[in-house]
Formats: sequence, structure tokens, C-alpha cells
Amino acid sequence: MTATLETTSLSTVDTAVELSGIRKVFGHGNSAVVALDGVDLKVKPGEFVCLLGASGCGKSTLLNIVAGLDGATSGSLELNTSRPAVMFQEPALMPWLTASRNVELALRFAGVGRLARRRRAQELLELVRLGDVADKRPHELSGGMRQRVALARALASTTVSADGSPALLLMDEPFAALDAITRDVLQAELIRVWETTNTAIIFVTHDVREAVRLGQRVVLLSSRPGRVVREWDVTDSRDEVLDEINTHLREVISGHAS
Amino acid sequence: MATPPDTLDKVGAGLDALDVPVEAHKASLWQRFLKTGVPPIIAFALLLGVWQGLWASAILPEFQLPAPVNVWNELVRSISTGEAFGILWTSLHRAVLGFLAAVLIATPLGLLIAKVRVVRAAIGSLLTGLQSLPSVAWVPAAILWFGVTPSTIYFVVLMGSVPSIANGLVAGIDQIPPLLPRVGRALGAGRLASARHILLPAALPGYLAGLKQGWAFSWRSLMAAEIIATSPQLGVGLGQYLHNGSSLNDINMVIAAIFLILLVGIGIELLLFRPLERAVLRARGLTGAL
Repeated sequence: MTATLETTSLSTVDTAVELSGIRKVFGHGNSAVVALDGVDLKVKPGEFVCLLGASGCGKSTLLNIVAGLDGATSGSLELNTSRPAVMFQEPALMPWLTASRNVELALRFAGVGRLARRRRAQELLELVRLGDVADKRPHELSGGMRQRVALARALASTTVSADGSPALLLMDEPFAALDAITRDVLQAELIRVWETTNTAIIFVTHDVREAVRLGQRVVLLSSRPGRVVREWDVTDSRDEVLDEINTHLREVISGHAS
Repeated sequence: MATPPDTLDKVGAGLDALDVPVEAHKASLWQRFLKTGVPPIIAFALLLGVWQGLWASAILPEFQLPAPVNVWNELVRSISTGEAFGILWTSLHRAVLGFLAAVLIATPLGLLIAKVRVVRAAIGSLLTGLQSLPSVAWVPAAILWFGVTPSTIYFVVLMGSVPSIANGLVAGIDQIPPLLPRVGRALGAGRLASARHILLPAALPGYLAGLKQGWAFSWRSLMAAEIIATSPQLGVGLGQYLHNGSSLNDINMVIAAIFLILLVGIGIELLLFRPLERAVLRARGLTGAL
């Protein structure tokens, strides 16, 4: 299968996403909760970044801000990409549409014509190896298959821009609800899709092993408020940094014990 | 330590093979008839038997409890003279027109109540209250407003069915998982596209339940209105036929009219709403109730 996404090998842009001083406060006055406090983050086009943190670190909030589903209280967000695609923990497929129609829905919102829609949906389903079940409805598919349809749909929504800006995929613990074997297979699948499509990915997880396996870079966030604690470049030393990141994550969590 | 990719591919293919849904065994037409058609027929036959037995025991006088065969003869008479078709047509076309008008009014109303907070606060509970008000209570007022005319009948039918349909739509929209419209926004849907492609289809099961109840209410309201508001100008519908039977002390006619009213109710349910509901629920994998 050929690469199916427009990528930016020729583009002069060297950051896909740039967050600086992102702050997010929920509520007002005494009951206000600071979810994010001055988060800086840069993602290069085609880069795979994992955001790691315990619960309450605001990693989902951060993702929603990048996705445009939520606004930051202060700070700036710069996107040099096409519309970011989002994948949630649940597949959230429309239960009344077939797998293929679910993927087409993303293209439909972008105004793609019917024939082109159908062809593109089939291509993307084949990319996640679900070409054979295009006509099945979500309830006829297993959890792992549904999440792959959701991946195909997310890719469909991020690749429609014709101006050649880089694609961006935001994933919010997409494999957390799957069983261990399926998760293992899907992680491999995601790496393969990322390599074929060269999409930039921001992947939120609380699983150190998953972060280290998938990402080129792992960013550890503290909890309440969420701040960037440390980053690791893990491409060359995946096995070695695992323990180190684990230790740091435990420190961040134990800090809340008292 | 890492598993080689081709092994994982095989594991993935194996998982998929295990996960591919097994086609359910499809029952033959005859088996389906045995399963779903025979029990109601037996129940009906038993009911007839009890009726015949009660009549034979002569506990009640003939003018209160007629013999099944006499009611049958009345039905055959009205069908063979063509009278039954005229009566059914009068009532059915009123019910269908009234129901369609109710759908046209209730759908935007339901959307407004579900999506605009101030509208919901203002009339949401009023609409629920109207649902519990028997629409026959509107007949006297309607006669004073519109006289004994078709307008009276349509008004009563609307008051009966609009609240049910609108409430069904509101319930359907309230029960949409919030994640679905969020996904829509993430995929770039505007407000209109989101309503058309996500909200309405997602609310369809609730809306359909409302339509079904709305139909039942409009049929009931129509019968009530026809029984009370009778005039030559209105022609003879089922309610009027029932009313005439009672005036003539003709119990055969009364029971035949009740039978026809039931027949229409059950017929519309079986021919229209049941298949529609089945198709909608089956497409979503909600087959537990079928």
C-alpha cells in the first residue's frame, strides 16, 4: 500500500504544534482548580510524542486544547497543521453507520464528493486491515476492530487538507480499554500506520511501557497542576529509559501522598 | 525483547479471524410463523372459546353479551354492503392527516425544547403535563370554539399526539451519549451538519418511540372525539358507528365497532411501526427486545 497522506517533506515549517505557557483553570474563586500551569511543548512534523502522567495531570485537557474542543485560560497555541484528528479512549463510532460510512462521515463534513469519499474510506480501512468488514456495523465488530475503524476515521479527518500542511493525530489513551493482546497488536499497527503516513502524533497515556514503546519522545507531566517535569528522547534507548521514567513517575505520584 | 513485527501481524490476523462475527442461523419463513404467528392465533381462539362459553351459559342477557356469530354476521354485513370501508376510510384518513400534522408541529417543537434551554424551562413541564391530560377533555372546549366540524376533531387529535411525539424526540436527544456530538465537532461538523448527521440519527430510537405513542394517542383521541361530536356534517366514522350502535341498543354493532377500532390499531402497529422499529434497532445491534 502506498503512503496515503500528504506530508511536508518539502515544507519549510519545522514545528507542527507549538504550545507556550498554556494555563487552564476550571471554575472560579475558591473552588478554582488549576489543571495546567505553564505548559510548553513543541512537536515537529511527523514526530511521535507521548504525553505521560498520572490521573489529574491534565493530559486530556491539554489534548482537548490542541484539538480545539476546549480553550486555554491563557498561553498560546500555534498549529501549522491541517485540522487535527482526535481519537478517544472509546471508539465512539456512530452505531447506525457501517464501518465504511463512519470513515466517510469525516470526509463528508469536509465536503468530499460521494465517489471520492467511498474510495478514500476503503483505502483507509485497508490501511488498518479492515477492508473486509467495511459493511459491518460497529456492534458486529470486536473492541480492537472498532478502535481501528476509529483510527481510520481520524486519519480521514486529518488528511483532507489540500494545502499540504502536515497532518496531526491526537490520541487520548486510545488503547486503555482493550485487552493486553489486542493492545499489543494495535500498538504495532499504530507504529506501522505512523511510518506509512508520516503523521505527527501526540499520544496521551498513563502507561510508561506503552509510551516508551510508541514514542520518539516521552514527555512526563506532573499532576495538579500539570506541568512538564522532564522529557526523554527514547528512540535509541527504549529499554534503558523505562526504569528511569518509571522512577520519575512514581516520584510525581508519591508527592501527592501527604 | 520486542516481538518481531511479522509475528504480531499473524497474531493480529488471528485475532481478526476469531473476532469476525458469525452469521446467525436464519430461521425459515415457516419456523418464524410457528414462533411469532401461532401464539396470538391460539390466544385469540381461546378468547373466542371463553366468550362462546359465557354466552352459552346465559349469565348475561343477549342484549348485553351477544353470541360471537352474531357479531361476525354484523361485520360481514357491513363489509359486504361496503359500509365498513366508508367508515374505516373516514376515520383512517382523519387519523393519518391529524398524525402527519402532529409530526410536522411536534418535531421542530421537540428540537427547540431539547436544544434551547429557556424554551425547555418555559414549556417543557407543560408539555409533559399535557401528555397526562386525556385529550377527550378538550372536546367540549373545541366544540364551543369550532362547532361540530372537522376542525374540532383535528384539534383534539393534535392535542393528543403532539405532546407524545415532541416528548419522544426530547427524550431521544437527551439520551445521546455526549461523546458523539464531541466526535462530530472533532471531525469538523458545523451545527447544522451535526444536527443532520449526528443528533437526529442518534435520537431516532427515542423519536420513533414517540411517534408510535403519538399514533396511539391520535387514534384514541380521534375515537373519543368522534363518539362525542356527532353530526351529519362529519359523516360516519368508527366512533360515530359505535355511538349509533349504542343509541340503537345494538350490542352486535357496538362490539363490531370496538373490534374494528382494535383492528386498525393493531394493523398499523404491525404493518408500520413494528418493522420500522425493528429495522432501526437491529441496525444498532439492539436486538434484545425483538
